[in-house]
Formats: sequence, structure tokens, C-alpha cells
Amino acid sequence: MKVIAALFSIVLGVVLLVAANDLPIWGDPESPVSVHLSSYFIEHSVEQTSVPNFVTAVLADYRGYDTMFETAVIFCAGITVMTILRRSHRLRKKNVPPRPVREGQDIIICSAARLIVPMMQLFALYVLAHGHHSPGGGFQGGVIFGASFILLALAYDLKTVLSRLKEKTMMLVSGLGVLVYAGIGVLCLFLGGNFLDYSRLASILQVTEIEARSHGILGVEVGVALTVTCIMLSLYADLASGGEMDEGL
Amino acid sequence: MEVNSWVLWQFDVLILLMVLVCAVVALQLRDLVASAISFGAYSFFMCLLWTLMLAVDVAFTEAAVGAGVSTVLFLGTALHIRRRAKD
Amino acid sequence: MNIYLDAIVVLLTFVGLLFFHGTTVGILRFPDFYTRMHAAGKGDTLSTMLILFGFAAYQLHHPSTATLLVAGKIIFIAVLVFIASPTATHAIMDAGYESEIGAWSAKDGFVSSCLIRKEKGE
Repeated sequence: MKVIAALFSIVLGVVLLVAANDLPIWGDPESPVSVHLSSYFIEHSVEQTSVPNFVTAVLADYRGYDTMFETAVIFCAGITVMTILRRSHRLRKKNVPPRPVREGQDIIICSAARLIVPMMQLFALYVLAHGHHSPGGGFQGGVIFGASFILLALAYDLKTVLSRLKEKTMMLVSGLGVLVYAGIGVLCLFLGGNFLDYSRLASILQVTEIEARSHGILGVEVGVALTVTCIMLSLYADLASGGEMDEGL
Repeated sequence: MEVNSWVLWQFDVLILLMVLVCAVVALQLRDLVASAISFGAYSFFMCLLWTLMLAVDVAFTEAAVGAGVSTVLFLGTALHIRRRAKD
Repeated sequence: MNIYLDAIVVLLTFVGLLFFHGTTVGILRFPDFYTRMHAAGKGDTLSTMLILFGFAAYQLHHPSTATLLVAGKIIFIAVLVFIASPTATHAIMDAGYESEIGAWSAKDGFVSSCLIRKEKGE
């Protein structure tokens, strides 16, 4: 079996390498992408959306539809893992040996976590809000925010985190994130534009159409961040506790 | 190549080699926990590679998701299933 | 002015690399888990911080708001490393002690940690 797998991966690798030969070389100014696509976004994204980081502009505005469904995919992943793994204490199988549990918490690790977690959360909010100007955005900010809760769960235990952020709240907020994203899109629809056409928000926000696109991107990123934060924490809680939500790693 | 002359191409090749080594080690190790750690190292080298290609957004995502959260998720899963892989 | 700054940057980076070298040699040559982690934790923290301070000093060649901001961010990373790296070392060391990894002593070579605990009366 292993030989077949190795053979298969070698053949696939060779095919991919041969196919990679046909790609234009990296950063080639003559390649179709550089000629037709990239230059358009580089030249027009600032004047159309007033977002200096055009990666964010492309991600949340020009292809906002894709990003919405990426958020939905993450939401579905979290829901699926929870559906498969989550179980109550009553259904615990007897043949699983209980893992050794340490008494008490390590004071050094807890103190360091207390120092680091607020910095991480502040940084996550910075990444989220500053995504217009620097690398970052809703997805990265959300992952860092979720990771701060995971760090808390690793240093203390899962109960500490789940007492601060209830499981029900977690799943509600993760759904709310997708709702915020789609809701902004539908709002644009009601205001007479296309789905996710943020320039229609100008009449509500009392700004120019270009700035409205920038604000719309920020609103959408907040939705992504809400979903990603809660789904990351929920994934960790389900996977690390085997679905029982009693203890972390 | 003219386009990336701001950094030594040997550096690119070195990081690419480290990516390969980490990937092969992650597949070959019997211990699933060690395999997860090796996969985290793979993600870090991938992140360096993205940064060298000036795709900073992708590198950021790779560092946060690949090296940060997914390593923890792998570790959490590996401790709950049989720790030693069969093959 | 610039030549002195360059000298400081090169000195900081060089000393940092020297400590990194010591860390690597320590990880490779020390006899058991605990001493290896000791080398990794101390050397890694110090050398990373020295190199980061070197980078921060390099930003001061053209002092302006932007470069000072970058230098400040690098100092922030150094502070984070200063907190996180020793804690991570402690966590790994503690996990090793909990799972009873043996230690090495000059008198009678490699000792399993059950013996250490017995001597301490635990």
C-alpha cells in the first residue's frame, strides 16, 4: 500500500513540475495576470475604494462574494466538528482511560498568559481595524483573537475560558458573523444596488460613495472576525476535550 | 533573474529545501505529536517563503493559522487518538 | 554618527549570533533533556533579543516617524520574546519532569527520574 502511495505521489509531483514549466516565471511583467488584472487593481483600488492595501480591497470588495462563502465554509466546518464530536458526560465510553490530570495550575505559565493575552487581543483588534492600511484583516485578526482564548485555555483550563465565553454564546456569535456579512450585502440590495455593492451605503453613513466602500469593507471584516474567532475556539474546545468540554489539553 | 535580485536566490532554495525536509519528516515520524510539531515548522518555513515572494498577507495568514492554531488543533487531536501511527 | 551606529548594530548582531551558536552547540552536546532545554531557553532568549535590538538600532539611520515606529514595533517583539520564550522553556521542562524523563549526573551517569524523586523524598 505504501509503495502505491509513494508511486502515486511521485507521478503526481512529476506531472505538477512539468505543468509548472508552462506557468509564466514569477513576477514576469509580460504574463497575462500582470498585464490585465493586477495593474487594474493597483491603479484603481485606491480611487475606487480609498483602501491603500489593495489585497484587502480585492478580498472584501471586488470578490466579496467569494469571501462571504469562505466565511460560511468556516462556519460549516465548526458546526460539523461540533455535531460529530460534541457529547455529554452520560454517553462517555467506559473503555477510554482517563488521562492523568495535574493538580493545580502552574503559576509561571498562568502569570505569563495573563501578561500576553491582553496584548494578543489588542493586537488582534489592531490587525482587524488596520487591515485597510497594512497586511491583515478580518481573518487574521479573528484567528489571533481566537488563539488568545486558546492560550488562556492551555494555561488555565477549558472551564475557565468557557465560563467567560459560554458555548451557546460562542455558536450564536459565529452565526452572527455570517449574518453581519450577508446582512450588509442584503442592505446594499435594499438600497438599490447589487448584492455587496457597498457604495449604496453612502446614503445611510452620510459619506461619499468611495468612503462608503471603505466602511463597508470594515463592516464585512468585523463579520469575518466574529465568525473566525468563535469557530477557532469552538474547534479547539471540541477537539482537545474530545467533545466533553470538561478539560483542555 | 532580475525580478527578485534584492535577495539571494540561494536563500530561496535553502528555505524551499527546509520546507521539503519538514514535510518529509512530518510524514515519516511515527509519533503523531512530533509529526504535528514538524508540521508547524513546515508552516513557518512556508510563511518565510511567502514573505520572500512579498505576499505579506498570505504569510500573515499562514503564520497565524498554519503555525499557530492548526498545530494546537493537531496536538489536541493527536492526544485523543492512538498516539503512535501504525505505518 | 552613522559609523558609530553601524558599529553598534554589527556588535549587537554579532554577539547575538555568537550566543545562538552557543545555544546550538549546547542543544547538540549537552547530555540530557534538562540541560539541553537550559541551553535552549537561556541562549535563545538572549540572542534573539540582542539581534532584535540590533535591528531596532539599524532603523535609526534615518530618524523619522516611520522608522521610529518600526523600531518601536521591534522592541515590542523583543518584550514578547522576553516573556514568552522562558515561559515556553519552563512549560516544556515541566512537562518533561512530569512524564519522568531521566537526568544525567557527573557522579553516576544517567539516572532515571524515579531515583531523583526518591532522593528528594517525594
